[in-house]
Amino acid sequence: MKNQKLGTLARTAVATCLAATALTAATNAMPFSDGNIVIKAGQVITLDGEPIENGTIVIENGRITAVGKDIKYPWNAEVKEYPNSVAFPGFVEALTNSGMDRANENIDVAAFLNVKDSIDPVSFYFEDSLRSGVTTLNVQQGGSCVVGGMGYIVKPVGMTVEEMTVQPNSGIAMSAAPKSGKSRATQTLALRQTFDDLRRYLEGVVQEKRDGVDLATREALYQGREADEETSKGRPMGGNGWKVSNLEMIPRWEIDEKKAPLLGIVEGKTAVFFYCSTPGDVQTAIRTAKDNGFLNRTVLCLSSGCWKAADLIKQHNIPVILSSVLTHVERDPVTGEEKETFVPAVFQDKGVRFALRSAGTSGKSLWYQAALCVGHGMTREQALAAVTTTAAEITGLSNRVGSLAPGKDGNVVIFSGDPLSVMSNVEQVVVEGNHVYDRSTDVRMRHLETGAQPENTSAEMETGTPHKHDEPEEKDDKEPDEGENEEEKDDDHEGHEDEEN
Amino acid sequence: MTGSADLPLLSDPPSYGTGRPPFQCEFPIAIANPADTNRLSLTGVTRVRRIKRMRSKVIWSSLVSLACGLSVSPMGSAFPGLELPGAPASEDPAVYVIRAEKLIERPGVVHENTSVLISDGRILEIGPDIALPDGATELKGAVVCASFIDPWSALGVDNGVLADTKMAESARTADGLNLFDVDHLFQEALRAGVTSARVQGGWQGKVCGLGAFVRLDPTLNDPKHAVLLPDADLAMSVGHSVNRGATFQRMGDGTFQMISGDRPTDVFDRVSEIEAVVSSVEAGEAYRRAEVEYKFKLKEWQEAIAEKQEELEDDFKKAKKDRDKKVKKAKEDGKEHKESKYKEDKKPREPKFNEDKAALARVAEGEIPLVVEVHRSSAIRNLLAGTERFSRLRLVIAGGSEALSCAEDLAERGIPVIVWPSLRGTTKKDEFTGATLSLAGELAAAGVPVLLGSGGRDADTTRDLPLLAQLAVGHGLEKEQALEALTIGAARAFDVADRVGSVELGKDADLLILDGMPLEPFTKIQYVFCGGRPAVTPEDN
Repeated sequence: MKNQKLGTLARTAVATCLAATALTAATNAMPFSDGNIVIKAGQVITLDGEPIENGTIVIENGRITAVGKDIKYPWNAEVKEYPNSVAFPGFVEALTNSGMDRANENIDVAAFLNVKDSIDPVSFYFEDSLRSGVTTLNVQQGGSCVVGGMGYIVKPVGMTVEEMTVQPNSGIAMSAAPKSGKSRATQTLALRQTFDDLRRYLEGVVQEKRDGVDLATREALYQGREADEETSKGRPMGGNGWKVSNLEMIPRWEIDEKKAPLLGIVEGKTAVFFYCSTPGDVQTAIRTAKDNGFLNRTVLCLSSGCWKAADLIKQHNIPVILSSVLTHVERDPVTGEEKETFVPAVFQDKGVRFALRSAGTSGKSLWYQAALCVGHGMTREQALAAVTTTAAEITGLSNRVGSLAPGKDGNVVIFSGDPLSVMSNVEQVVVEGNHVYDRSTDVRMRHLETGAQPENTSAEMETGTPHKHDEPEEKDDKEPDEGENEEEKDDDHEGHEDEEN
Repeated sequence: MTGSADLPLLSDPPSYGTGRPPFQCEFPIAIANPADTNRLSLTGVTRVRRIKRMRSKVIWSSLVSLACGLSVSPMGSAFPGLELPGAPASEDPAVYVIRAEKLIERPGVVHENTSVLISDGRILEIGPDIALPDGATELKGAVVCASFIDPWSALGVDNGVLADTKMAESARTADGLNLFDVDHLFQEALRAGVTSARVQGGWQGKVCGLGAFVRLDPTLNDPKHAVLLPDADLAMSVGHSVNRGATFQRMGDGTFQMISGDRPTDVFDRVSEIEAVVSSVEAGEAYRRAEVEYKFKLKEWQEAIAEKQEELEDDFKKAKKDRDKKVKKAKEDGKEHKESKYKEDKKPREPKFNEDKAALARVAEGEIPLVVEVHRSSAIRNLLAGTERFSRLRLVIAGGSEALSCAEDLAERGIPVIVWPSLRGTTKKDEFTGATLSLAGELAAAGVPVLLGSGGRDADTTRDLPLLAQLAVGHGLEKEQALEALTIGAARAFDVADRVGSVELGKDADLLILDGMPLEPFTKIQYVFCGGRPAVTPEDN
């Protein structure tokens, strides 16, 4: 039965591979080097201290070894110079449900599934992420579940999931928001039962083993021989939650593979990304996490209305990932007055660590979301942290991504100007020391800009899937009109937000 | 099914999920039928004794903290090591003394010129002359009585949960509370004098799940504080299940025509729904019996095995000698030694855990009441007949539009009926057709315990509860009976009479200060105390 499930998850990968090789050729045109590269830029925004004018980033074996001004680098390194551009650490998408065959499963508790079997490496989504400067993505199952599958952190580069992997098994998705067919009462019941069942199962397994050992002892006594020594020794149960005593009697490989990931959650080994759609769900999520001892491994993935539970979240010091709709609009039940709340500002004021998500379909990538925050009065540092350093921290990758510092992954995005400006473009992207994106050779982008069919692409246009070429047009808002100034930019953002709501 | 009465009770309820709050479990759960109030008074007595012991300490600690300007957690000092669910979350250990010209302890028990001392959300002293402690607030009122309870409400329940037709028996309304966006509704209800309610989701389904008893304090938007009892009852509904899908009807010419869903409930539906209710209770009883039997069998087996083990240990030396001899002999014969076969009784199998059936078992055992919303007289009759043999079952009927025809039975078995004295239009033909405003009065006159509720359909009708009660009074219900229905009667039916429902020592300070007798049209509510805090003051009205 399990194989069948995995089969549905992975079914598209191979087929799409063949069809889309030609399409992704433009972005992956550069052959993979050995990950040694030196980047010189007019300005280096490290997010790990002050920006450096005319700085240099040295990347060796895919890792940054030095960042600074006038620093030495190996004589044989490939040097890229962008004197008029800004080098910036790649954006970190703290949570996404895209790039997969299917975001949600039908089964309630699907902790034994892994999104690695569902990720589609040639999905247009990854190509587009690269184009917007996102270099790290935490792919998780969607919120229509009770317990979802195991997530993966990937980079948007590579033809197989193995190549793309940054951090395997990054955490399990869970949902306090009712999935379709359930209400909050039955969803909470399902959550409670998941862990009650686990506990009952473990207690049952231990009891069975004990009975077996006791029986063997009595048998030996009866037969007049010494009892056999107990050979298989497992580990006792860890974590801060409830404990099943004598679990060391059971070697871990004997535990049902459907239950083992849940045990990992209770033992605090696995991070949990907990979806909440109302402030009441936040209470459910916190209670579930507390009861089962994984509160310190919990990240809440909130819908915009959940800002009302900000105090509760602060009280338990839980990091959150906000939905792509940043402004919450509601009507006062008594006066009928419409009230708007800019959600990130609420969490910033309360001192809750938060990361932003991009709006998958409308082309509002992380830079846009951060710019929106600045437009609503947050500082640049606060806004940028939510899409880089804090996002890395929340996904457990703060030692690898989010800023340009020695020891971190060599992920660099070259912007034509201020990364938060609507006038800037992502010109180059380097991921783990490999130059993987160049705007000047981006076929789709050229098509968009010139409006004409790019050279030597007629064969692709005939055989390829034309609808795919429609999608980048949503990126229009990133293309500056002549004479547009900064003030107009902010108006523009708010206008978009209104439309969305 | 005759064995049910002889069945020994489990002293400890099933440990998973459905446990009552700890303070309830201190006392043996042995209530057999709703008329038996032993347990309630036992609980009350113990609590009062404890409070008396603690009283001086509490006041002292709260006064010290007042004086120092510190916010000492009041619960911590009063009941060390005991976390009470539904305890007021107020950090401010406020002390109030209310001087009442008339104190209605409970309907029928009235004291003149009496004072009530409230501290830490509880009533700590009642007496003619209570000195005003330092820092305490003094309030005066003509009449003081317990605040109202809505035993059939939808306030604070998430709309999705209210409309959920797939509630399981073990699904809790308490899990489906949304206490974030209902402040204004809570405030409205408080202003009408209603401070707590039994809320119930899933009325459209046949099984509505476990209801919760909540306190309507807008400052307590955490279920931990707001919910007094997470499983106050298990509810089922007859005649309301909608979305029954398409059916086929035979036409005159022999053809079949499809009738799209939502056809009105007919008498056969009700018969099968009542049967489902009865067989659920039966399944719960059987489940509990299997549990108890397993417990006994297991104990027997364990004792037998322990004995056997001792025997085996005693005989071990001999057995070893025998075996050595046999091994030696086998070796001499060039054969392989064969171990002798050991036999013992198999361990009894534990019945498979089922949370839904565990909830039904609690109902069958009378640990929580079963609330059935049922209206038609034939259905009520069937229900009464079907449940007669469950001696421990505590049945409560909600709605009961035609309950009058079974009034004698209901009165004899002491089954309460929660009446919704609503001004519903009679044009729409539904389950409520047949209910008149005089239903409550007539049932009460026939000796049926009557409760008054606001229907559990919309969140905002709870506010109208006192008005509905006055309607019932206007149509024949005795005023005292109406007041009892709104206070201690509702509290008793849902096992919270040790916390709310009357103005008594040790109870939660949920009370009203009025300028006249309650349920009089011109009486104004001056203060509403909810969990020891004045939630409504004259400025609010």
